[in-house]
Amino acid sequence: MRPAISRSLVPMLVFLLSLLSLAVSQPAQAWWMYTPGDTVDNVGYQPKQPIPFSHKLHAGEKEIPCQYCHSSARRSTAAGIPPLNTCMGCHRLVDPEHNLIKQVAEHYKNNDPIQWIKVHDLPDFVRFSHKIHVNAGLECQGCHGKVQDMDVVSQVAPLQMGWCIGCHKTKGAKIDCVACHY
Amino acid sequence: MTTTSEPGMTLDTPFAPVPDADDPRRGKEVYAPANAPFEAPAAFVPGPYYKGVEERMPDLAERASAPAEVVLSGAPSTSQFSLGRRDFMKLFSASTVAATSACVQRPVERAIPFVQQPVDQWPGEPVNYATTCGDCAAGCGVMVKTREGRPTKVEGLPEHPVSAGRLCAVGQASLQGLFHPERQSQPLVRFGAKWQETAWTDVYQHLASKITDPSKVAILTNGATGHRHGFFREFLEKIGGSPNHLYTYEANSLAESIAAAHQLAYGVAAIPRAELNQAKLVVGIGADFLDVGTSLIYHTRTYTDGHAFRGDGKGRHVQFESSLSLTGGRADERFTIPPGSETLVTLLLAKALLKNGKSKGSAGARAQISTVLSDKASLLSGGYDRVGITEAAFDQLAADLLEAPALVMAGGSAAFDENATALQLAAVFANELIGAYDTTLQLQKDWATAPVVPGDLARFLTDAKGFEVLFVIDADPLFTLPPAWGVEALLKAIPHVVTLGDFPTETAVLADHKLNTHHWLESWGDEQSIAGLWSVRQPTVRPTTDSRQTEDILMWVAAGLNKPLGYEDYRDYLKKKWAAIRTLIGRNNVPEDLYFDLVLQHGFDGRDSTQTLPSFSSSVAQAFQYKDDSSAGLRLIAPLDFRLRDGRHAHKPVLQETADTMTTITWDTWVALSPATTAKLGLRKFDVVKVEGPGGSFEASVYPLPGLHANAVVVPRGNGHTKESGIVQGGNGINPLVALAKATDAITGAVVTAGQPVKITATGRVFPLAQLQKHNDIANRKDIIKTVALATAVANTGKTQDLDDVPDLYPALPKKEHRWGMSIDLSRCTGCNACVVACFTENNIPQVGREQVMLGRQMHWIQIDRYFSGAVEAPEVTLQPMLCQHCTHAPCEPVCPVFATTHDPEGVNTMTYNRCIGTRYCANACPYKVRRFNWWTHRWNQLGARLQDRNPRALNPDVTVRTRGVMEKCSFCYQRVRDGRHKEKINKIPVGQPGNIVKTACQQTCPADAITFGNLLDTASPASVLRRDLRAYMALNGEPAEKEYGLKTLPNVSYLAKVVFKTAAGEGEHHGGKVDHDAGGAPHHEGAEHEAAPHEGK
Repeated sequence: MRPAISRSLVPMLVFLLSLLSLAVSQPAQAWWMYTPGDTVDNVGYQPKQPIPFSHKLHAGEKEIPCQYCHSSARRSTAAGIPPLNTCMGCHRLVDPEHNLIKQVAEHYKNNDPIQWIKVHDLPDFVRFSHKIHVNAGLECQGCHGKVQDMDVVSQVAPLQMGWCIGCHKTKGAKIDCVACHY
Repeated sequence: MTTTSEPGMTLDTPFAPVPDADDPRRGKEVYAPANAPFEAPAAFVPGPYYKGVEERMPDLAERASAPAEVVLSGAPSTSQFSLGRRDFMKLFSASTVAATSACVQRPVERAIPFVQQPVDQWPGEPVNYATTCGDCAAGCGVMVKTREGRPTKVEGLPEHPVSAGRLCAVGQASLQGLFHPERQSQPLVRFGAKWQETAWTDVYQHLASKITDPSKVAILTNGATGHRHGFFREFLEKIGGSPNHLYTYEANSLAESIAAAHQLAYGVAAIPRAELNQAKLVVGIGADFLDVGTSLIYHTRTYTDGHAFRGDGKGRHVQFESSLSLTGGRADERFTIPPGSETLVTLLLAKALLKNGKSKGSAGARAQISTVLSDKASLLSGGYDRVGITEAAFDQLAADLLEAPALVMAGGSAAFDENATALQLAAVFANELIGAYDTTLQLQKDWATAPVVPGDLARFLTDAKGFEVLFVIDADPLFTLPPAWGVEALLKAIPHVVTLGDFPTETAVLADHKLNTHHWLESWGDEQSIAGLWSVRQPTVRPTTDSRQTEDILMWVAAGLNKPLGYEDYRDYLKKKWAAIRTLIGRNNVPEDLYFDLVLQHGFDGRDSTQTLPSFSSSVAQAFQYKDDSSAGLRLIAPLDFRLRDGRHAHKPVLQETADTMTTITWDTWVALSPATTAKLGLRKFDVVKVEGPGGSFEASVYPLPGLHANAVVVPRGNGHTKESGIVQGGNGINPLVALAKATDAITGAVVTAGQPVKITATGRVFPLAQLQKHNDIANRKDIIKTVALATAVANTGKTQDLDDVPDLYPALPKKEHRWGMSIDLSRCTGCNACVVACFTENNIPQVGREQVMLGRQMHWIQIDRYFSGAVEAPEVTLQPMLCQHCTHAPCEPVCPVFATTHDPEGVNTMTYNRCIGTRYCANACPYKVRRFNWWTHRWNQLGARLQDRNPRALNPDVTVRTRGVMEKCSFCYQRVRDGRHKEKINKIPVGQPGNIVKTACQQTCPADAITFGNLLDTASPASVLRRDLRAYMALNGEPAEKEYGLKTLPNVSYLAKVVFKTAAGEGEHHGGKVDHDAGGAPHHEGAEHEAAPHEGK
């Protein structure tokens, strides 16, 4: 028979282990949570996009409605990044010689989609449908902030569950777990 | 306690530490205490229902001290096998979540839009394509739901006359065939002993160079009913060969023998289309039309239409069989007959019919029949004793058959013995005498076409020696024919064998060119399974591997021979053929260039077809050959497995994990014996036996199955693939065909795959099989399964009850607009398991493999439980789909410490996966045993080189993928409910109204229409109407009519009691099929006082 570990050591070990795990997990958690955004809830996340598309120019100065390009938003669960044929629909004529437009045209010609970086990203266990929110008459800016003032889009709302629930409670929408988790 | 490290402390003290892993006293690691169950079994309480023969005959129970490691000789050891398979399941299902380690950065997600977005497609919204299933020759129209270019679900096409929106288990599993990671990615060419990956253009050239004499080119292909075979013939002709060198072959030779019999009798090689819904009496003789048959969905659909309780009566089904098939399990009366006596029984029935003055049939036919019967007079007079059924019983049955629209369905995949065609001819006799043709069997109008040409296989086996190049297309003769036929030597003798198929087969091992073709979901094609009904097949996804369309390969080979076929590709060929169909159907108002597009949109087109039959052939009596074998003794029956069919679907884990309904065994092959024979041989459940036949022997575990004839040895086909053939099916089970000697059908010369005598010897070893439904005995609970006598059910039609009206201390639920509920009709369920596979696919449920199932870790959200009642020799089978009951007072909810499972105000018992910490308290609390725990993380995808490959394939993007440590269960397909609710809000169509019908995955696919889902608060919704029916009951909720409320969980799932002619408790009188013959169904008891309680067993 092997001698059993002294029982008085067990709590000590547990304590040491928990200290150790704290020491490891805190910075790890920090790295996990604070990148690529700056905060726990990712507010302020402002990744550099492959082509510096300016919402300020398109939605702000030129006053193009959001859903002119993001036309899936009212039809689908996903708002959808506009396809390149939407871009080229205007830019075949509008400023085709601009350096950035040329880049877009190149992608279009080569049938090579631009790999945009997703700014607003929900966990995979959350089901969010754009169409039901858009059709309920909610403003895009309510969740996405004043995109028309942003040169580079960043995340404004925390997109955490408490934030969702807050609005659902105010508006009298469904707040059962299964409304979003299934 | 203080210090304890002093030596001498023994394990007897209550606080003894757990010995270290390498401490010998700890013993081998076991999942349960080595010599005792977790809890002492309660004293067995016998009741009318039992789940296995061991409850009736304890001597047949599995040996208690079964060493789990003992395995079949030759098979790899369980542990090796288990690890491999488990890893593979993870790979199949897939995705490492390395998240627990701290060194992973929050991933940067990308959003990749279309370049050219099609005008009618929106990312996130499904696009449906109408196409035709290619997993068997039945030609069911299907609708493939795709998301972002990937098929995510296959459903029946609602308008299609064959499938009518339903699909079988095999069709539901087709996505696993498409996305199978072991599909060949490149064409392979053999150079010496080595396979070389080769570019397609080189393959065509190389192949063309091998064809020196086109007249020695042949094609062996599987059954099809569309233009495919015509194209192959055209190919052979154009390259200068003979169109006769096309050989069609299906391992399911039922269609072949039926067609051969009708060729002999009526001169047309067609299959009469059985309108089972028109027949008030169906007699099945060795028939398996609800297992495999010739057109499973069509038969199940029409059968349940006519034979499930309809409110005023039900059809009657009498089955004669030696095994216990799903079809036999559904029968109202079942006669167990000796294996191989199906033909004799049918002839005896024909004799009784001919004797009856009311019998019909043309004079010519009657003369032929009476000649055959008088030829066999001595055989027939001794036949009653041999089959164990009296002449009076046959006379009675004949009288019943002549009284109402009726038909005889004979033969199944279990009855391919030497008399298979004789059996079909005998059935033709019986049906002719009943007058079934043109009333319940349609042969002159919209008949079913034969997918194979009768006699082709026999022709192939003789012709094969002379071939120079043989194309084996989608067929696997090496695996599906008994080895005694020497197919291996035959193929090896052919200088050049080319195999084409979407998945590598055993035959492909012998090939010189192993070519990977498109899966049917990637292919063009068409089927004409019913004369005049053409269904088109179109690609629903871009090819997932570097494969080619079979027909296109042949076109390139022809081009390589400088003998081009003159079509751009197979699509072009089909388009030309469909132009002819357009003229034939008379769609001249549709422009020709638009017609094909319209067909693709619609999925099919057609018109009624008629043919005039020549009179009954006068040479039938001469052609009728019956090989009598009166020797008694064990006989091997090797039916096609309804999940794996002839073995071509064995590589799909979802089908392996779906249990065989009658045995509830997954992942393996078993030898089913009758309980009496098992006892006589001194065997027990799971004892390994050696089955020796005239052609060879194999070993497998015994499963004593009630209802079998004492001489029947039933071993399903489908498993037993070689270890090298793939990790899912490789080395899994055995192939019973190895025991068979060379034998042919007495009339057509087709290969025989059943009925040969075998000898069984014990090996002294035990090999446990992975079974579902292994919970403790049901302790004579009367509220799990309920049956009701037909007369009572008829009398109660129209009366209502309120299942929810029970005294209750809980506060009432808030009144919402919806309360979701489901009604399952036990009178309809045939146990086909389509719902199970549909659920697996819809809800991203992982498959866990044999070893995990043995530990009770299967993940089925819905499973078919089967209960026997009555004597083990002649059991009544009741099937019950069991899923989360969505209890109003759910025992699982209060025990969850983290509120991961909660109650939705709309009645759904919900699971919030991200809250779950895996205590499994809920699974312990659930009285229905329907909660499933993820013991492993199943990865769903391999990462590919392209970023897009990170998208999990074949997953339903609308359902969260669960990871290890999370509990899950049926969610009532909440994603579909949500879609419906969104539609309600956006499009203003209330759920349940046309245009917004929410169906769960199991309901949508159910060919028997057993499942109804809907809003219980809407009094008009079908689910709510059925819940008020007097047949409705809630499982484990007592007898509310007697103020006995059982567990009072108040489920939102209710069952409708099975309607039987006579209940297990003896209620109901046998009406011999007369009750349903009352045209109006007017109950005899009208106006009489009736008890409200409809159910048996007080």
